[in-house]
Parts: sequence; structure tokens; C-alpha cells
Amino acid sequence: MANEKLYTFSSSPHIKAPTTTKGVMINVCIALLPAVIAGIVFFGLNAFLIIFLSVFGAVASEFIYLLIAGKKFKDIAKQFDFTSCVTGLLIGLSIGSQTPLYVPIFASAFAIIVVKMIFGGTGKNLVNPAVAGRIFAFMSFTTIMANGWLTPTSGEPITGATVLTGILGGADVSSLSILDLFLGVNLAGCIGETCKLALILGGIYLAVRGIINIGYPIIYIVVTGLFTVALNGFNFSYFLPSILSGGLMLGAIFMATDYTTSPNTTLGNVIYFIALGLVTAGLRQATGIEVVSFVILLMNLFVPLIDKFVINRPFGFVKQKKVKGE
Amino acid sequence: MSIRKGKNYPYGIHVKDMKELCAECPIIKMPAPKKVYISMSQHIGAPAIPIVNVGDKVVKRQLIGKESGVISANVYSSVCGTVVGIEDIVTASGLKMKHVIIENDGGDEEIFFDNIENFEPKTIIERIRLAGIVGLGGAGFPTAVKLSPSIKLDTLIINGAECEPYLNCDYRLMLENTEDIYRGVKYAALALGIKKIIIGIEANKPKAIEAFSKYHDIEVVVLKKQYPMGSEKHLIYCTTGRKVPCGKMPFDVGCCVQNIKTVIAIKHAIEDNKALSSTVLTVSGGGIKEPKNLRIQIGTSLDDIIEFCGGLVGDSVKIIAGGPMMGKAMIGTNSYTRKTNSGYLFLTDKETNVDEPTNCINCARCAKNCPMRLMPMYIESFALSGDFESAKKYGAMNCLECGSCAYNCPAKRPLVQSIAMAKSKIKELKI
Repeated sequence: MANEKLYTFSSSPHIKAPTTTKGVMINVCIALLPAVIAGIVFFGLNAFLIIFLSVFGAVASEFIYLLIAGKKFKDIAKQFDFTSCVTGLLIGLSIGSQTPLYVPIFASAFAIIVVKMIFGGTGKNLVNPAVAGRIFAFMSFTTIMANGWLTPTSGEPITGATVLTGILGGADVSSLSILDLFLGVNLAGCIGETCKLALILGGIYLAVRGIINIGYPIIYIVVTGLFTVALNGFNFSYFLPSILSGGLMLGAIFMATDYTTSPNTTLGNVIYFIALGLVTAGLRQATGIEVVSFVILLMNLFVPLIDKFVINRPFGFVKQKKVKGE
Repeated sequence: MSIRKGKNYPYGIHVKDMKELCAECPIIKMPAPKKVYISMSQHIGAPAIPIVNVGDKVVKRQLIGKESGVISANVYSSVCGTVVGIEDIVTASGLKMKHVIIENDGGDEEIFFDNIENFEPKTIIERIRLAGIVGLGGAGFPTAVKLSPSIKLDTLIINGAECEPYLNCDYRLMLENTEDIYRGVKYAALALGIKKIIIGIEANKPKAIEAFSKYHDIEVVVLKKQYPMGSEKHLIYCTTGRKVPCGKMPFDVGCCVQNIKTVIAIKHAIEDNKALSSTVLTVSGGGIKEPKNLRIQIGTSLDDIIEFCGGLVGDSVKIIAGGPMMGKAMIGTNSYTRKTNSGYLFLTDKETNVDEPTNCINCARCAKNCPMRLMPMYIESFALSGDFESAKKYGAMNCLECGSCAYNCPAKRPLVQSIAMAKSKIKELKI
């Protein structure tokens, strides 16, 4: 043989799209940036510290776990795929700005180690780590978390009275400024949940980059709004306040759309997001508290069930059935 | 004279087509090499049996391998010269095949078939069988068998999609040998007793569409540029609207699909009395100096082709026989042109992807893109855990191995490999 060089031998296809898991996750981080910036603008240095510590806690937990598991630091750094950054960011954005600084670290560590790594790492978790981490924080530090809200302008922590709890408690919805709700001005709430504009910008970015199907969060949000309206005697003035308050936007755009914990088929996703909307609106009405993360956690557990029963039919499937029946 | 748009099929992918490397290069005839290595199994089915001995003098288009069964095909010499060996050679694709090695003496003597007296389906099919024509799109199924279906068909579809990136040989033939294709198609239609002839061409080949619009009895269907439009089942759906049921063949819906090169071979066998001894292929990729479309003698070695195309440049990491989506990687250059070759690609590490696979993140891109509407991530995980029964239940046997799933996988999982493994295991274990 004139040419003795050996070439790479592998299965087809020999060309692949440039998309990587890392690329997807970096794009999600970029999509969360507007919300991070809005949070820091509205809530100040404390918000920045909380977000920083939750991301740091998440990334550090992943590294520590893998080091204990016996991997080399160099390999871990090489294989680092930014999923823990996304988890950390989401946790930081979904807690209040007056929360003590150790809470985000605990929440992130729980999310990464218990919810993600123990189940096998990226792609193997049963429930969304960020949602579980947030709930872990709320459950473990109940009093502290409830006192963590802050209305940006007054600068005073207030107890439990976000706009949402006000609405659910029967406050006059017509007195609310929809624009304030949308922009997050003068609003108490979690760092990343108040400015809906920033979240929507992030959602549009993800949709444009082909990372999420924007239809799914829209289904979730619209179903929640409509069902809230229906539960309140078809009073449509509840529609906008209900979809613009609480953690719905953040949950719908960034948490419920998580690949690993959402169904794998179009029909499955439609079922999943409609169910999310219905349960969210129903539970909000029944309990009077914000439930989005609990509902996402709950519905995550139904995803394997949906995926078991909703599967795609192969091209040409229907006719084959007919032939069999003959 | 009629041109219409094909039916839309929503599942499939868009790949960078890279055809510009040699789409406008006319087909060049590569001179016959000093030595040819002619494989005895250039088709699906039983290998041909060599009927020459070492030391025999042969002339061009002399029968050297005789078909050995119904699903088999004759093999002819592509040069004049002396047989210097009949050997089992392990080629770079990893398969061991019997090759007849002929040293070219540069002679131009040729053997032709007798003229066909009466053009009946029977005589045409017999001639096609005799000439050793097989499906030249890659499958290599004997064309004579394909043209004698057990049931009556009503539509003959010519596959001018050429959806694989890089490859241009069908496109060049459509431009340069339009009349040959037309005549070959008419013979195939005559053999099948079919009136309705459709040619499906992807929308990115306007010149080819233009070339065929002059024939009043061929319907040109313009297909959306989408991979894998050249798959039989999708071509049939987009041109006729018929769905081939799972596990069935095109003839079950009254269609017969033929490749461009095959119909040209039919024309040559019937009108010019020539047996199949050469093929047209594309040599392309970033690793070859001069990408070309070549008419090449069967049995030409890859080393000779590389030399004719100016040699290798840069650092090619992969050599592929066929297109980049479905072609086979080869470990070295000891490969010899077969009837079914449609191209050789030399890919640099910028063009090909050698990333390590990571965990599946359940993004479901594979399921969203699968042209067969399968769920590759499930089939893969069943295959890897050895649960082949479930893999079959999820439709593994319908997989075309087109690579749409693995192309878009962000975790770079070897989905096609796992599914192909499941398929062979299902066959082996008779699940």
C-alpha cells in the first residue's frame, strides 16, 4: 500500500451539527442574564451576592462530588457542561433578596448533590434540580425565607405579602398597575421573578436559538391565566395579574422546559404543560400561596408516565395495523 | 412537460450540503489504471462465482464472475489484460471479499451483447440481468428482480433527490446525460408495463429540473431540500402521497423507485449492448486537492483515484465511501471501486465530528427530527441495556440509519450505531 496511515473508523453520520450540551447550557445562561441584571438593578448588591453564591455553590458542589467520586480535576474541568451554572442561576433568581447568604449555598449544594449527581449527573435527574433546591430552602428555612421579601423602593423587608398573595387573598385587582407588574417596578418578590420583561426577553432568545419551543411556556402561562379567570367567576381582570405575578414566568420559561424533566414528544409536552397550568391555577386558588415550583416538582414525577404512554407512531404505522387486522 | 411541487413532509433535517465543492465540475473520464481489483460481491445477495483463472487473457466487458442464484449479479471485466490473481482481500471497510485482479495491457478490445430484436418486457429484463445491473444508489439490489414484481405496479419514480451532502454524481448525470436517463427510464417503464413516470428532484438543482421539463411524458416533481428526501419511502410519499406501511416495500403501494445511474446503465445495456463495467462517482471533501466527478472503471483502487485527484492535502482524518450521512468510514486506502459506489470523501477534522459522547439530556431532538417518527433515545437505551424486545417494540426495525438523529444530538451520542446494533441483534435472536 502506498498509504499506510490509519484513518478514524466510526459509525455514520460522519458530519454533525455544531450544537453541544455545553452550548445549549451556555445559551440558557445567556438567556437568564436579563433577569440577573434586572434583579441586581432592583434589589442591589445583596441580589448579586445571592446569585453569585448560588452559582458558586452549585459549581463547587459538582466539582467536589466528582473529586470524591475519584475523577481527576482536569477531566472534570474538561467535561464541565454548565448545567450546574443554570441550576445555580435559577436557584439564585428564585429566592428573595434579603435571604441570609448561607441559604443559596445550601440550596445549590442540595440541588446538585442530592437531586442531580446521586442519580447519575446531567440528564439522569428525576426532577428539576433548581426547583428541588428552591423547595429545599423554603422547607428548611421556613421563617427566614418568608421574611426575605423586599420592596425595592421602600427598602424594608415585608412579610409574605407579595402581590400574588395579595391577589389570592382577595385584594382589589383593579388597583394594580399591570405595567409595574410587567416591569417589576415597586414589586416585592424573588430576585429574578419580578421583572417579567427580562424573563420574556430570555424566553424569546431561547426560542430564536431553537433551544425551547416557545409554544410550551405560552400554553402553561395562558392555561394558568384562563383557569384562574374561570375559578374567579370568569372575571377577566384576574387574567393579567395572575400570569404576571409570582414565579410563573420564571417557572414556565426556564424550569418547566428543562429537557431532562419534560416529556419527549410534542403531544406529551402539550399534555404536560396544560396539566401544569391547571394544577398551578387550582392550587394557587386553594392554598393562597405561590405554588409554581411545587407544581413543577409534582408534575416532573408524572413525566416518565407521560413518556410511557405517549410515544410517536412510526411513519406508515397506521396502515400496518390495518393489514394486520385483515 | 409538467412540473409540480412535491408534498410537504415535516420530519427531517437540514444539513449543510457542501455540494459547491464540485457541483459545477463536469464528469471526467479517469483513464483505466494499470491494475484493477474487481470484487465478486458488489451487490446484495450471493457473491458471483469467478469463471476465469489466473493467467487467462480477458478483454473489456468480458464476463468474469457469474451470478450464483436469483439475488445475485454478473460481474464483467473493466479492462483488457491478464488475470493475475483471484484473492480474498480484506478491504478498508473491514469486509473480506473475493477479488479478481486484472493487469491492464492497454488494449481496447471490447465485447458487446447482440442487438435486441423485439423490445418486450421479458427480453428487456433478461438483458438487464445479463448485464449485471444492480441498484446503483448504494443498496445494490439486482435490478432485474426489482423490475419483475409479483404484483402490478402503476408508478415508476426516478430518484433525483441526491440529498446526501457533498455528492454530485447524480446531479452531473442529470445535466450531462439527460437523454440517456430518459431512454433508460422508458425501457424500465416498458419492462414494468407502467405509463406514469415521475422524477423527483430537490429544489436546489434548478438546472436539472429545467433539463427534464422538456419531456412531455415524465412528470417532474420538485422536492423540498431536506434530508433524507432520497429515502425511498419519503420520495414515494412526497411525489405520490402514498405511505409505505412499516415493514413493507415500495411495490406494496404500487411504486418502483430507480436510481439515476441505474437507468443510465439500463439504457447502455439495451441500446448500446454494453455490460456494466464503469460507474460515476464524486471525489470530494476538504482533504483532497481537486474535488472531481469521475467516470471510473470498476475495480480502480482508491490510491489511483487519490493520485488522479492531485493527492491528499491537509490532514484528513476520515475517508468515507459514500455520503457523509450514511457512508461507511474506511480505515485505510485499500478500497476498490464497486458498482454501487457513489463517492469517496476525504474529511478533515474541521468537517467531521469526533467528539466524545456524553450523557443523553433528553432534549428529544432525535425524536423531533426522525424521518421515520421513531424515538431514537429510547431505542438506544434499550439496545445498550440489552432489552432488544423493547427496542423492537419502539420500532427499531423501521430505522433507515439515515443519521438524522445523531446529526443533531447535542450529547453526540452514537445513536445510529446503537440502533444498527439493536437491528442486527433482533435479526440474530429472531425476536
